[in-house]
Amino acid sequence: MSLLEVQGLSVGVAGSPHLLLRDVNFDVKAGEVLGIVGESGSGKTMAALAVIGLLPNGIELRGGSIKLENLELADADRASERVTADISMIFQQPRSALNPTMRAGRQVARVLETNQDLGKKDAKAHSIEMLRRVGISGADRVARAYPHQLSGGMCQRVMIAMAMACRPRLLIADEPTTALDVTIQAQIFDLIRSLVAEIGCGVLFITHDLAAVAEMCGRVVVMYGGQIMETAGITDLLDDPEHPYTRYLLEATDKEVDHRVIDVGVNFALKGCRFSHRCPHAYHACNEFPPLFAIGDGHASACFLNKEGRVVTS
Amino acid sequence: MSLLEIRGLHKVFGHGSKAVPALRGVDLEVHRGETVGLVGESGCGKTTLGRIVVGLQAPTAGDVIFDGQRLEDLVGSKGFRSRIQMVFQHPDSSLNPRFRAGTTVREPLQLMKGGSRSDIEKEVDEVLTLVGLGPAYKSRLPRELSGGQQQRIAMARALMSEPELVVLDEPTSSLDQSVRGRIISLLREIQSARNVAYLFISHDLSTVRRIADRVAVMYLGRVVEVAETEEVFESPQHPYTKALLSAVPSFDPNQRTRRIILKGETPNPADVPAGCAFQDRCSLVHGRCREEMPKLETFTSGHDVECFAVPTLAASG
Repeated sequence: MSLLEVQGLSVGVAGSPHLLLRDVNFDVKAGEVLGIVGESGSGKTMAALAVIGLLPNGIELRGGSIKLENLELADADRASERVTADISMIFQQPRSALNPTMRAGRQVARVLETNQDLGKKDAKAHSIEMLRRVGISGADRVARAYPHQLSGGMCQRVMIAMAMACRPRLLIADEPTTALDVTIQAQIFDLIRSLVAEIGCGVLFITHDLAAVAEMCGRVVVMYGGQIMETAGITDLLDDPEHPYTRYLLEATDKEVDHRVIDVGVNFALKGCRFSHRCPHAYHACNEFPPLFAIGDGHASACFLNKEGRVVTS
Repeated sequence: MSLLEIRGLHKVFGHGSKAVPALRGVDLEVHRGETVGLVGESGCGKTTLGRIVVGLQAPTAGDVIFDGQRLEDLVGSKGFRSRIQMVFQHPDSSLNPRFRAGTTVREPLQLMKGGSRSDIEKEVDEVLTLVGLGPAYKSRLPRELSGGQQQRIAMARALMSEPELVVLDEPTSSLDQSVRGRIISLLREIQSARNVAYLFISHDLSTVRRIADRVAVMYLGRVVEVAETEEVFESPQHPYTKALLSAVPSFDPNQRTRRIILKGETPNPADVPAGCAFQDRCSLVHGRCREEMPKLETFTSGHDVECFAVPTLAASG
């Protein structure tokens, strides 16, 4: 059984007919790292925020279901303890996600006090232990520091300590290393991997970096314009990409690319495939919304044409 | 003769007990029409170096020689600004939000070259076409453009005066991967059309590999390794370069098992240990590294490394 099951998720701006997320489906199993890749504006962060119930003001759920271990979250009370203790999130900018007026150790301790009913003293001891576990040497000293006194990599470790303190069922990591240097990124990836192995939680790993996905994830969901383009195991995706957008993304990382497919913003008013106005293979059928066509074991692509350019029938 | 020659460059910010050395003796050369990639992590001094080269900041000690003349003599002289230009990291803050693209691109030409109105317009159109946008974009304001398009405008502005050297400070790091690829090939097209040299500053190693002819690796205010691009990526010698390259996420599962994960973080530049700055994170550290600062020595022809553990050409005979 899946830990997290998202089905037919749609999200839109209040008062506008256009959808920011359209019919998004994915699932995360316990102990698995599922990657969501896409460029800016692809809706990958929006999908994560919908799962954890932090959609910005003015953005609303338009339909679909989000189930965590069969508990429906889409209509649940978002402040319910169950959700806050079971789902944790690591944000992109560690320094702005931490409270600048509170010492690092205190921020970790508060999570424990709120969610695990620990007393102040126990929470403090436990928080320092957590800081040590995320590889901070001199945890006592760091616990007393304010975020502005810590480096970006250190702040990210503090945030991971906060996220892991309650042993969540699901961890959402939204571009956790984009703001960091590569050597620190390697340390953080290593840390997330070992914590996941230890706690056995599922991870929703959001990034724009395909290589990072190859590094961290078993399965991948490729998004564009609030729509899922392709979902596959990581080796299938890298060796045998099906959707034109995926193929183009992979090419973009090491070759020159076609003029037409770049620098065009997403058109959220499109009724059909959101990639159609950038797609070199687009034809009249693309004015309809493409469903995900299964093309192999755990491999599906939302395109009316297959790789050879023949119309998919299923 | 090289177009740009940097010798023993030092830059200290602040003074007294608060002094922070950002550059601690940098040597580097850029030849005409070539691209030198300058890589390193945040805080290593690569942006400071770039700003000194365009004359936005004055060095504390050392020389910058541009086309045979000392930079400090050139700064302020007529025509100097048109010879070295810069493209900044964030196009949204380096473009004037109230200037239309045409105005932004036209301004350097009016200031530095002059000419009749129709000549200027012709050249504006030409440069906008060169950066892949075209004259239709002249009336756009920065906020009406995407990040990639804004960066093209910034590039067009830098190219307008037909510079000999352009310093590009992380020009692609605020852009999406797909846009990045296009900007890189554009930079190369422009280079072959105009024989301009680039000092390409970036922390993104894969981008540097695609554009640079030579690569200089910086660590805490010093160049620790410099060589031709493929040489650096295929046969890195300095332990820091090795760790930096191995940390890049890769599609190749074998790469992951060879990974060197550095311990700790970059030391505070205000408190660099005596001797080699990399000593506390280095796996090859020995007694000498803690006492003496290594110098950039020739490893093979055109490949210089600053490390006691690497056999130099001179030492091995």
